[in-house]
Amino acid sequence: MDSRWKIRLGLSLLVTGPAPGLLAQTAGGSATDLAVRLAGMTAVTGYERAMVDTLLTLLPGAERDRAGNAVLVFGSGAPRRLAACPLDETGFAVGRVRPDGWLTLHRSPARLRAPGPLFDQQLEGQQVTVFGRRGPVPGVVAVRSVHLTRGRASLPGEPFTADDAFVDLGAATDREVAGLGVGILSPVAVTKRPHRYGADKLAAPMAGRRAACAALLTATRHAVAEQGMVPLRGTTVVAFVVEQQLGARGLLTLATNRGPFEETRVADDAAGAGQLKNAGLPEGPRAALGRLGGWEIATGYAGTAVETVGLGQVEQVSTTIAAWLRGEAGR
Amino acid sequence: MRAAVTTGLGLLLAGRLAAQDAARIAEAQSLLAPLVESYGVSGAEAPVRATVERLLPAWAKAETDTAGNLWVRVGKGDPLVVFVAHLDEIGFSVTGIRDDGSLELASRGGFFASLFEAEPALVHTGATSVPGVFTPRDSAPASPRRAPGPLRVDVGTASRAATESLGVRVGQTVTMPKRYVRLAGTRATGRSFDDRVGCVAQLLALRRLDPARLRHEVVFIFSVREEIGLEGAAAAAAALGVRPRRVHAIDTFVSADSPLEPQAFAVAPIGRGPVVRALDQSAVTPHALVDSLTALARARAIPLQVGATNGGNDGSVFAPWGVPDVAIGWPLRYAHSPAEVIDLKDVVHLGDVIAAIAERW
Repeated sequence: MDSRWKIRLGLSLLVTGPAPGLLAQTAGGSATDLAVRLAGMTAVTGYERAMVDTLLTLLPGAERDRAGNAVLVFGSGAPRRLAACPLDETGFAVGRVRPDGWLTLHRSPARLRAPGPLFDQQLEGQQVTVFGRRGPVPGVVAVRSVHLTRGRASLPGEPFTADDAFVDLGAATDREVAGLGVGILSPVAVTKRPHRYGADKLAAPMAGRRAACAALLTATRHAVAEQGMVPLRGTTVVAFVVEQQLGARGLLTLATNRGPFEETRVADDAAGAGQLKNAGLPEGPRAALGRLGGWEIATGYAGTAVETVGLGQVEQVSTTIAAWLRGEAGR
Repeated sequence: MRAAVTTGLGLLLAGRLAAQDAARIAEAQSLLAPLVESYGVSGAEAPVRATVERLLPAWAKAETDTAGNLWVRVGKGDPLVVFVAHLDEIGFSVTGIRDDGSLELASRGGFFASLFEAEPALVHTGATSVPGVFTPRDSAPASPRRAPGPLRVDVGTASRAATESLGVRVGQTVTMPKRYVRLAGTRATGRSFDDRVGCVAQLLALRRLDPARLRHEVVFIFSVREEIGLEGAAAAAAALGVRPRRVHAIDTFVSADSPLEPQAFAVAPIGRGPVVRALDQSAVTPHALVDSLTALARARAIPLQVGATNGGNDGSVFAPWGVPDVAIGWPLRYAHSPAEVIDLKDVVHLGDVIAAIAERW
């Protein structure tokens, strides 16, 4: 595309936002539906691209910025406001492919410690998905057979860690692994199968963060469909941000490239919101975020494979966000 | 030129064999997937039994005994040969409903409870299942132990009455949701391959057998409550008494084919054929019978491994009547976990071995 047209298109989107009709066609789907859908997706820190692709599809007019965030801008002028939701999750990348076809892992982000002492143990003996270059590949993480521990040393008393993980794709050689499109750095996560129980509960790894993004996404889609997404005044930026767990890199890129903002609201689970408050963000980019507030999704069994949210609360938060997007006070 | 023709024929033949293998693997998978996705904790095997009945060949007549075992009798006359594969799987039973609505559990069978902690759950209430979650431990200290305390299930309620209103009762069974998933090549994963693969192998053999051509009676038993003490097989053994010439337990060969396992025994790689389970914690098969079986397999070009492993098998409870137990399994990685792994080629060949025994031994 001619660079002048890129600029004009960008300016057009910046000023008017996407055509309302375009979003109206895709505005179906409640926050509940989207929470379930997003909870079934994986976005390991640094490897969020596939999830961003999905969000760009669900939010016509949004674009990918230089950090990899999905960003939708509408309105113009001051005040400038930002509504964001982090996408990423602690997961793993293939660290090594053994000649016999088993994979070993490294955590991403590559912190020395897992988010919790039992976080890695959730891998043991469970099905995982490896995101290869040709698409997702199912696998499992090896565990000792209980029968073969009888009369011998059983499992160690210490929790399982990522260093204990051998991923079995069913491949018998490293060449077979390569044939699946899997290699060093392929992202790996526990296979996501969102599980509904009780009257309105949804359980999945990262259910809180996914539900928060679903609330923001739903509010944005409905607002744009209903009113053409013209805020009462000023500019509103909606963004789904990457690498929150790497120093809020996606969010800060927005601050430095699209800010300064008068106000920034972050939709997240309670743990993520707390981490942001205590993140010690660099002063300049932090200042560009303006007043920092949030919409929090309460979670049960936080940080586990059955992290649980109440879908009723997700709908309520979505309604609150929609009011904020319209320029009404809402929190 | 002649050599070229021979090579060409060889390639053609190899192509045909490959196509046949693919068809047979597809058949095995078509039987295995619905069986793996049926739920049947020990003592509550009815859904699995119903699936087996649905998958039997049309000519087969099945009977259920008072213990719950499913019997299929084929052929007539002595000697009687018995095959036994078990229907049940490991899991939990509900032992109590707490004031906060959560469920107290007891294990049914042997497994690592840590594999169920913080995972989705299903409470089998009869015609339906009530979803819930196995609750994570309340709080993890900085250096927790690997094994959790007693597991409970949260079905999303806040009181005993609310839980009971969902149809949940003490005595019902609890499992984790499961799904059959194909892996690379001819491998697959799922939970409760132990012993749905054995059931599939018996079904494959039944589909291949011509009942009119059998020279003696063969009984295929799909047994109950193996995981909690071989109870169904014990009832069948008592019913048959001294009549069987041999019994063949068709059950998992728990394999050390994994980087985590000690390699002192049980080293039977997956994909290299079924395994004569010649030595385990419940039985020892006489050398002569092992040799006869390996000769039979060799004559039919069926790959067969011989090994020693741990665990007990249903055939062992026939011992008090003097019936030799020649247990045969297929190699399984990660037994009694949600991520068991098999090679479908082994399933196909296990069906071949069973058919060969029924016809010729």
